[in-house]
Amino acid sequence: MLKAIRRFFGEKPSSQVARRRMQVVLMHDRMDLSPDVMESLKNDIMAVLARYMEIDQTSIRVDLEQGKDYTALVSNVHVKRVYRHAHSN
Amino acid sequence: MAGKTIVVTSGKGGVGKTTTVANIGTMLAKKKYSVCMLDADIGLRNLDVVMGLENRIVYNLVDVIEGNCRKPQAMIRDRKLNNLCMIPAAQTREKNSVNPEQMKELCGELAEEFDYVIIDCPAGIEQGFKNAVAGAQTAIVVTTPEVSAIRDADRVIGLLEANLLKDIHLIINRLNHRMVKKGDMMSTADILSLLAVPLLGVVPESEDVVISTNRGVPLVHQRGSRAGRAFIQISARLNGEDVPFEEEKGDGFLGRMKRFMWS
Repeated sequence: MLKAIRRFFGEKPSSQVARRRMQVVLMHDRMDLSPDVMESLKNDIMAVLARYMEIDQTSIRVDLEQGKDYTALVSNVHVKRVYRHAHSN
Repeated sequence: MAGKTIVVTSGKGGVGKTTTVANIGTMLAKKKYSVCMLDADIGLRNLDVVMGLENRIVYNLVDVIEGNCRKPQAMIRDRKLNNLCMIPAAQTREKNSVNPEQMKELCGELAEEFDYVIIDCPAGIEQGFKNAVAGAQTAIVVTTPEVSAIRDADRVIGLLEANLLKDIHLIINRLNHRMVKKGDMMSTADILSLLAVPLLGVVPESEDVVISTNRGVPLVHQRGSRAGRAFIQISARLNGEDVPFEEEKGDGFLGRMKRFMWS
């Protein structure tokens, strides 16, 4: 009965809360599972960016940021120069 | 032809690995396959008590690996099924008295002899886990619908994949349909969307499991138990049979009647 009243006032079922929490937790766990994966992610990002601009290869940082109801991947890179046309490689 | 080697693992302890091994092993043996169960939980052996074979143990896994006995001497035959046996873990040794290469070799040899080799993995992700996983081609990850078990399962799946073990299946144990219906427990769909591993089966929460381990007789020997039926289906799917997934029913009147008729 008490639960029904709580639900009525907008409390989410605990299973939904659990699923939402696990989505975030697992994303974090998988991200820092191994430094290798992080490294190859960085390399891939840089490879793509390098087609469009000259970047400082040593400056790249990749972080996960936790918002209220989202997780964001934030990457910071120093841009030295932007090419006029994208390089194919 | 070489048999299949399957490791049953979970990360978290107490989610039902040993029960799963006992029931799948027994059921596959009931299907006339030759089955060897291997307890890799060195120091904390339990498969023997769940199978009701605790007072027949003379030699164990470490004895086999160290060459203190011949392999058949450590294999304990099941009380009911002639084509089912188990190799118990050592109780007074440490996990690092065995290494992954030795386990790989042993599993390979057993697979020559048996249709199915089923390995009971210890909880955790240390040496014991690495040993248990080393010789397996297929992994079954057991989880319960709780956050801690799911998180550990995800970690284990990541480690298995990193070990190049890609044939991974999921068993959800102790699902309480009534709680799922009320929104108080994550559903099968919730868990599958989180872990993204193919489902082998769902075992409902049941008192029968405790009773069967009390007796040391695996559930699949009994008729009329819902949890037992889930393990029968799981074993069939593992054996490549096409068993459709039942819709998750609560304990409705009809369901109760049906169960009453069954038992």
